[in-house]
Amino acid sequence: MELLEPNSASAGDFVGVLRRSGVLREQKHLNGNLPVAETQATTVLAFKFSEGVLIAGDRRATAGNVVMYDRADKVLEIDRHSVMAIAGSPATAWEMARVLEHSFQFYRRSQLQEMSVEGKVRALSKLLRDNLGMVLQGIGVVVPLFATYDHGSDDPAKVFFYDAMGAQFEATDFAASGSGGPSVRSILYYENAWGKTPLRELDQKDAITIALRALDTAAEADTATGGIDRQGKIFPILKIVNKEGINTVPIETLSSLFHATFSPS
Amino acid sequence: MIDEPYRWVEAIANRREYIEGEIAGGSPTIALSCQEGVLLLTFGKDRKKIFEIYDQIALGGIGHPGDIDRLRMMAIELASTEGFARSVHDVSLRRMTTYSFSPALKQAFEQIYGAPYLARLLFAEVGAEPADDLFVTLDYDGAMTANSMSSGKGRDHFGVISGTRRSAEQIGQFLRNEPLGPLNKALGSAIRAWGIGLYSLDEDHTEAPSSDGLKDFLKTQLKDYTVESALLERKPKTRIAFTELSEDKLKGPLSEYR
Repeated sequence: MELLEPNSASAGDFVGVLRRSGVLREQKHLNGNLPVAETQATTVLAFKFSEGVLIAGDRRATAGNVVMYDRADKVLEIDRHSVMAIAGSPATAWEMARVLEHSFQFYRRSQLQEMSVEGKVRALSKLLRDNLGMVLQGIGVVVPLFATYDHGSDDPAKVFFYDAMGAQFEATDFAASGSGGPSVRSILYYENAWGKTPLRELDQKDAITIALRALDTAAEADTATGGIDRQGKIFPILKIVNKEGINTVPIETLSSLFHATFSPS
Repeated sequence: MIDEPYRWVEAIANRREYIEGEIAGGSPTIALSCQEGVLLLTFGKDRKKIFEIYDQIALGGIGHPGDIDRLRMMAIELASTEGFARSVHDVSLRRMTTYSFSPALKQAFEQIYGAPYLARLLFAEVGAEPADDLFVTLDYDGAMTANSMSSGKGRDHFGVISGTRRSAEQIGQFLRNEPLGPLNKALGSAIRAWGIGLYSLDEDHTEAPSSDGLKDFLKTQLKDYTVESALLERKPKTRIAFTELSEDKLKGPLSEYR
């Protein structure tokens, strides 16, 4: 097996390993239109609260006006402290998540040190930029959120959002993406600026409630967002990233908080 | 010169003698099944010797650091590529060592004009039950031993590498009589096993030390060594089973000798 050059800048680069072994190929410029509607996934949000970062996404994946899947997982754990939430094409996004997950592990195992938060954020940025050929054709567009916990920072809970070309932005308090993103952004802005408690000071229960409300509101006017399926008992996926790691909020908690605040009876 | 067959055999024999001499002082590395998972333990002086390879696989190595690192990188690349291209469940230590490592090491060893690997490796893979744990040792010439390959007879619950065969055998004899227990017990057994191994590296020590002798020996030796230990957890919270054991976890079992 060919080994990495010891002093090469690509040491610890898993994407390079995959390209060398032919598992991952360079994006080609293809011409033509996708003969069917492309599958899309929306809506995701992330905000900082008193115990870390809450990152959430609805469950619906659509292709044009067709609901492809109502139990899609758009909030993907990348490592012990990093979560990526995807909006856009799941075909590209899930692959990106897999590449990222393996890249971070590969770096840690081969270089015997954890990749820096900045390095991780840039790794996702690079994957998005590598996808530019697809973006220019209007397919395979992904606009993700990235939440992580930086142990060495004064403000350790981190939220980043991206554009489709790979530009990265660090959110001060919150970020949202996907077709329901604008509604969610307005709600989170309102809560943060005019609500009873700023987002950063919310306890876990209130943070979960606001996330559920925001996704439910986004689903009200956007058919591509699943929101909360009362009959099918399908809830969004909510994860909390903090010092200890990542916790997925159990469905029972979501259900009881949902029924306590939304139920008309 | 090596066109003549006997010359080749002679060259190989010389090479074997040279490598054995180079790694003869290598401090043992022990991998031992316990209820919580697979414990890996060694003591070193100046460099790291226990590594994470993949979610459920760890590596211990003795020999030249440059060669161990090349082999370690090869293992990480193989496992990560397989795990990415197919699934994490398709990464198998048995396949990796049998089809990739053993032939590669043999080839490097037998190509007289190329450099062989100065390394002896111990791979451990944690299973769902202690009976599923797999330990594979690989030598510089591609020779491979595993605690269980097919028959399941005489199955050991440990894997060992050391600078000399005699030292590894002495450790094996000791560990075969140690019952499978909890991590704390396994730590004690692994420390004693390491001591027996180090003691037996000395050519003058033909027999394993007595219990008191071992204690005194460890007390003197441990002043010069730093402990290194990791656990492959049987039921990890995430997919990743490998955790380095902190000094705190090791303080108790080591206090006897410090």
